[in-house]
Amino acid sequence: MYKKKLMLVLALMLVIALLASCGGATGAGKLKVGMVTDAGTIDDKSFNQGTWEGVVKAGKDYKLETQYLKPTGTTQADYTKEMGNLYDSGYRMIVCPGFKFETAVFEAQDKYKDAKFVLIDGSPNNGKFDDTRVAKVGTNTVAIFFAEHESGFLAGVAAAVQLKEGDVGFIGGMEIPAVQKFNWGFQQGVNYANANYATKITIKAENVIYQGTFSEMAAGQQLAAQMYDKGVKAIFAAAGGVGVGVINEAKTRAGAGKEAWVVGVDVDQYSQGIYTGDKSIILTSAMKQLGQAAISMVKAELDGKFPGGQTLTFNAANDGVGIPASNPNLSSDAQAKAKEVLAKMKKGDIKVSDVQGSLIK
Amino acid sequence: MWTTIAQIMPYAVAYTIPLLIVALGGLYSERSGVVNIGLEGLMVVGSFCSALTISLLYPIWPHASVWMGLLAAIAGGALFSMLHAFASITLQANQVISGTAINMLAGSVTVFFSRTLTGSGNIQIVSGLGRDDIPLLKSIPVLGKLFFTQTYATTWLVLGILLAASYVLYKTPFGLRLRACGEHPHAADAAGISIFRIRYIAVAVSGAFSGLGGAIILVTYSGEFSGTVSGLGFLALAALIFGQWKPLGILGATFFFGFATTVSNVSQAIPALSIIPGVILKTFPYVVTLLALILFSKSSQAPRAAGEPFEHGKR
Repeated sequence: MYKKKLMLVLALMLVIALLASCGGATGAGKLKVGMVTDAGTIDDKSFNQGTWEGVVKAGKDYKLETQYLKPTGTTQADYTKEMGNLYDSGYRMIVCPGFKFETAVFEAQDKYKDAKFVLIDGSPNNGKFDDTRVAKVGTNTVAIFFAEHESGFLAGVAAAVQLKEGDVGFIGGMEIPAVQKFNWGFQQGVNYANANYATKITIKAENVIYQGTFSEMAAGQQLAAQMYDKGVKAIFAAAGGVGVGVINEAKTRAGAGKEAWVVGVDVDQYSQGIYTGDKSIILTSAMKQLGQAAISMVKAELDGKFPGGQTLTFNAANDGVGIPASNPNLSSDAQAKAKEVLAKMKKGDIKVSDVQGSLIK
Repeated sequence: MWTTIAQIMPYAVAYTIPLLIVALGGLYSERSGVVNIGLEGLMVVGSFCSALTISLLYPIWPHASVWMGLLAAIAGGALFSMLHAFASITLQANQVISGTAINMLAGSVTVFFSRTLTGSGNIQIVSGLGRDDIPLLKSIPVLGKLFFTQTYATTWLVLGILLAASYVLYKTPFGLRLRACGEHPHAADAAGISIFRIRYIAVAVSGAFSGLGGAIILVTYSGEFSGTVSGLGFLALAALIFGQWKPLGILGATFFFGFATTVSNVSQAIPALSIIPGVILKTFPYVVTLLALILFSKSSQAPRAAGEPFEHGKR
């Protein structure tokens, strides 16, 4: 009898302890910041990694718990599942880097009202492109866009001034807005340099290509090889894993003493392009301050000023995009010209178009 | 047309070579009677071993590091394939399941070790192999331009291995025993051949070749280990069947895949090819394989004992 009572008391204590611990996890504790990765891995040296480094830095600066989850696929269901997992383990701020998260965030923002969502490179919508399309940035969501065209423009000017004459090309990943804007901006930058700095750089239509994925390294290498064989001097690769193949091909050629340059993307890819000693085939990089975007959103949330419901644009004017401050492969002239253009862009004297117009693809 | 082919050929060959060596590994394993669908995983292991070795050795030994990496991949692949051999030969487990386990294990284990050892799931190598023209041979009309310009050293290594491997398979006692193990293991056993020993060696060879294949991808066209070889191991397996388990057959089959894939990859950059819709070019090799497999299914010459665990008592 005594034993039975003891058991009951013990069981009750266990239940209470369990409830108490649950309360602790969901209670008003510190903010926990989670991230769900897009296609590719966390160490892709590009989109995922750039964002994640920002999240980690914010976590360190403000002493917050951070965690990322990698979905098993790239469908909406995969993303939704991992967002749910983060939410269930108490993460109330979820960073989603990538255009492909649009529909998943659209659903999640209503389902998890007390969580904050940061969607980079996209705006939540229901994925329809007809009359039934609904797009809504929830009050707990902020959509962040980058002015990729301005970044591409600066890289185009710098590359053109550096190379002076010859062909350049572009290899993109999927034909999605962020990649297209890089392409269009790059072309405008090259044209601007041709018109204002007396360079003679050409971009042929056949050398502007969207490979169609962000993962096929072999295709990237083979496409780059074809372009370089045709005399292209530099390729702007905005293509994730496909870009890895492009960089590798350029390294092989540079190692054999031939001229082959790559313009990097998203982050400063200089160190990725090193082929011997400290020489790199990365001419310059068209950067997006992904990490900075993540950090500023965490800070805003902690200060109670989370810009929910808004669509923010990081552009040249607020230093959200640009090229690396220094790059050994650029002459001082090219760097000065790029700076000049950046200053004009900030003042509004140069307007970069983010639509195709008469540009290639 | 001619310039287009000449333009594509060096890269098509470069793409074919890893497929060829992996399919050759699969050939050894299957001809001895062990189905090995773990080729994909073994390639990943090879790619990882070589990437790690090269990145560690590069600072002290820049020139030899690539070759040390290839050796490490051969050793790593052979060692890892012992798991498959132990499960499917000694323990007589289902060979397909064991191979699947190898595939799943390899992708995770390598990324795990890569993270713990280097801090990143992707390992980049600073420099891989360069491409060279072969003196004299490159000036042969037609062929010189197609096959002797812009070649990697590994291409010639693999073709050498192909010759040696088919010599061993068809002209030596060991080769005869190996084929006997795959066709009628009990007859071979009665003749005094150790089935276990032969099969272990064959699986080790398939592991070593697959590892080498994964490493060749790394040092030639990818330059980065990322925990996957994007299905090339399975493509090699398809080439093995398409090539009817014969060395020359798989040379033809892998070259077909290599050429067709390269054409579809670069079609966008070549105006003459970009008029053909990309979808057709991309699916072409697979559609042809499907058709070929259907056509050959009647006369298919798979090793008769492939896939069956060997038991002494069973007749």
